[in-house]
Amino acid sequence: MKRTLLIVGLVLLSATVLFAQPAAEKKYSTLQMYAALDTEEAQYYIEAFEKSSGIKVEFVRMSSGEVGARIEAEKNNPQASVWFGGSNTDHINAHSKGLLMPYKPNTDFELAPMLHADDYGWNGFYTGAIGFVTNTEFLKKHNISAPQSWADLLDPVFHGQIEMAYPYTSGTGYTAWATIIQDKGLEKALDWWQLLDKNIHQYTASGTACIARAGLGECAVGIAFSHDIVAKGVGMGYPLVMSFPSEGTGYEVGGVSMIKGARQVEEAQIFIDWCFSEEAQNLFKKYSRLPVNPKATVAEGAIKLSDINLIDYDAVQMGQRKDEFVTAWRDRIGK
Amino acid sequence: MKQQSKSRVQQINEIKKLIREPFLFISILVIFYLLIVFVLFPIFQVFKTSFMIDGQLSLKNYRDVLRQSYYIRPLFNSILLGLIVATIGTFVGFVFAYAITRTPMRGKGIFRLIATFPMVSPPFVVALACILLFGRSGIFAGAIGNIYGLTGLTVVETIAYAPTAFLALIGVLQAIDPSLEEAAMDCGASRGKVFSTIIFPLALPGIVSAWLLVFIQSLADFGTPMILSGNYQVLSVQAYLQITGMFDLARGSTLAILLLVPTVIAFYLQKYLLSKKSYVTVTGKPTSATIKNLEWYIKYPIYAMCFLFALIVLLFYGMVVWGSFQKLWGVDSTLTLRNYVQMWKIGKKYIKDSLLLSLIVTPITGILGMFIAYLISRKQFIGRNLMEFSSMLTFAVPGTVVGIGYILAFNNPSFLMPVTLTGTSIIIITLLIFRNLPVGIRNGVAAIEQIDPSIEEASIDLGADSGTTFRKITLPMITPAFFSGLANCFVRSMTAISAIIFVVSGRWNFITVAVLGFVDNSQYAQAAAMSLLLIAIVVLALGLIQLITNRLGKGMQSFSIIE
Repeated sequence: MKRTLLIVGLVLLSATVLFAQPAAEKKYSTLQMYAALDTEEAQYYIEAFEKSSGIKVEFVRMSSGEVGARIEAEKNNPQASVWFGGSNTDHINAHSKGLLMPYKPNTDFELAPMLHADDYGWNGFYTGAIGFVTNTEFLKKHNISAPQSWADLLDPVFHGQIEMAYPYTSGTGYTAWATIIQDKGLEKALDWWQLLDKNIHQYTASGTACIARAGLGECAVGIAFSHDIVAKGVGMGYPLVMSFPSEGTGYEVGGVSMIKGARQVEEAQIFIDWCFSEEAQNLFKKYSRLPVNPKATVAEGAIKLSDINLIDYDAVQMGQRKDEFVTAWRDRIGK
Repeated sequence: MKQQSKSRVQQINEIKKLIREPFLFISILVIFYLLIVFVLFPIFQVFKTSFMIDGQLSLKNYRDVLRQSYYIRPLFNSILLGLIVATIGTFVGFVFAYAITRTPMRGKGIFRLIATFPMVSPPFVVALACILLFGRSGIFAGAIGNIYGLTGLTVVETIAYAPTAFLALIGVLQAIDPSLEEAAMDCGASRGKVFSTIIFPLALPGIVSAWLLVFIQSLADFGTPMILSGNYQVLSVQAYLQITGMFDLARGSTLAILLLVPTVIAFYLQKYLLSKKSYVTVTGKPTSATIKNLEWYIKYPIYAMCFLFALIVLLFYGMVVWGSFQKLWGVDSTLTLRNYVQMWKIGKKYIKDSLLLSLIVTPITGILGMFIAYLISRKQFIGRNLMEFSSMLTFAVPGTVVGIGYILAFNNPSFLMPVTLTGTSIIIITLLIFRNLPVGIRNGVAAIEQIDPSIEEASIDLGADSGTTFRKITLPMITPAFFSGLANCFVRSMTAISAIIFVVSGRWNFITVAVLGFVDNSQYAQAAAMSLLLIAIVVLALGLIQLITNRLGKGMQSFSIIE
């Protein structure tokens, strides 16, 4: 009897110790996240966040489109709480399907209207413009200068030499297509693109693939976002030069949003707040993304949006009508 | 596979026989439950998504898809590519398997290792090497024409998938008793006659099944065409892009189901071909396995082909090794270890997870696969064809669709699976098991069908039940196929990507997902470094399995081929 009591006592005691321990220490749950940034870059930001907040993060890296498909498939039982990164057009598209949960981040500055949904369903934490990336050896060989306008891309010298992502697989590809639509109107944009298509070597699935490919000389010109061109092309040491179309260019806003049905709401909110902090925004330097917090410093070599000719890009319309515009493109171009 | 028509009485007798063997009966039920939950249910979900619009049965998705040339052209492109790759790949695999099992070629171990090399890395690594070797600015620029399109795809997929054919065929050729050839030669048959009337017909089931495996792999591959397809679009990529790029589960599922059509046709064609002949060679009668020296005009062309293929593989992987040490792949060839340091910093967790999960998956898949192979080739029971078909299915369906199917099926509790599996390790484990099962089953079926059923019948007549007969008679004879199945499964688990990417989570992640991340990010050198680490792990495991096979093989005279 005594022994039984002793055992029961011991079990109770150890149970208390076991359960008391986590209760005392565990303040936050582990934040589950889908990151539409490159693994290394996502890890760089997330480690900084873990250090400053004490919240542990587990993330899966996917392309923006994969995140969209996955949260739609998981909508009845969401597995992640935060969608970190990717063009806002994809966030807008997902938001229009009711997959996101609005949250207005606590910031120490005013978030411009172009940087968030009206109801804060998504929030933009960096920006970047569409630009051209050209192989300098190709330019030397043909004794020409890098394309300075959309019209330059139609030059026969670039026949079979231009690459970019499919408008339907990549935020980058879609932003480029949307830029042309907004500039010319849908019908004229389709006609123009048929001309451009003659010079296209191939479309890639990923938005950044054309940068290194231009660097390797597999194509002469790539169309991509400025921050990617700097971080993955020029900055890596490839023989590349960046230029922007004089007619005006489109830009992306990188989105962060809370997934509807998120389990770690508080942790997700802390993370989203952190994305806009001066500390986080200063980290973007390393990957040449343009910060939205005015206190943050901009990377060397990165082009500020104020330095280039931007079109009045209507991200909301372009996000909501994405399916329509993309289908029109595919029906005409046939790819 | 015997397809005689049976009378009703016989059928009833079969059922009675089955009930008398409770172990067998229960196993069949359990296997059916597993196949329904983890194979049919997810694919059914994909079907449902393609046929249902707002809860209504509709063919609209199919009408939309069939009307557009940009959906139809890729279908034909895929089939053409599959036919070419399967044919060349099976030929290369057969030559290699023949050289290893039938010729006194020197350095077999090395050739064998090289031939299996491409299996141990994700195919997009070969594709990258292809660009750096044969691309517009590659070392051998223009040597094989424009690599972006059918040519490049054929080269890379042949390198990537010929090993599948090789591994499937080596087991088959090993099981063909050389004394048959000896006898024929002694009776005055020429080498050519022996080949065309003995080896080829006996190996035919293996050849057809190898061809089928490669054909299906080529159809489902998206890693290679993602990088090399240029304007030659294939259906697997289009289905993938439709789902991941346009969030369009419905049409993506529709395209995937179109991709199933050629696979199902191929599958039944193979069954029809195989049902016509008997391929028994291991009869239990004593054999003395020797092989006479081959004539030079047979030997040397075979050696030359093996040597050429090995050289190509070495060239491609040499490029990967060299690239992994370069400061900036393709531009700055200063040697550095930086890529490995960066890769390790990011990849530790991925490597640990992949290794652990693959180690769990491999033995389960091996045993289950062999058991199902035994059931479908040796036992008569209702639903046998259904079992064979459904266990083959995950292999035929493109990985992306299996992945999406798993999310659709297991993200909520259902009557088939009362707990949610997404986000757990279980979903990854089951996906890998059921995706790799077909390889084990194919190998097993090919091996078992060469064993005369009368040996097993004798065992049963002497009073042993099915379980004992399987353990004591069938199992030892199919051990080489079993271990090649294990090796295959481990490799395929470690290099899986297309389906896995949909079920990985923050808690459980996979090394190939990290490699694809590097590739997406154009960090080819880090991708190469990580792929090499992956290759090293897999080669080590293969070596271990080989060692075990050799140990076990000592007792089995009839399988050893003398040099």
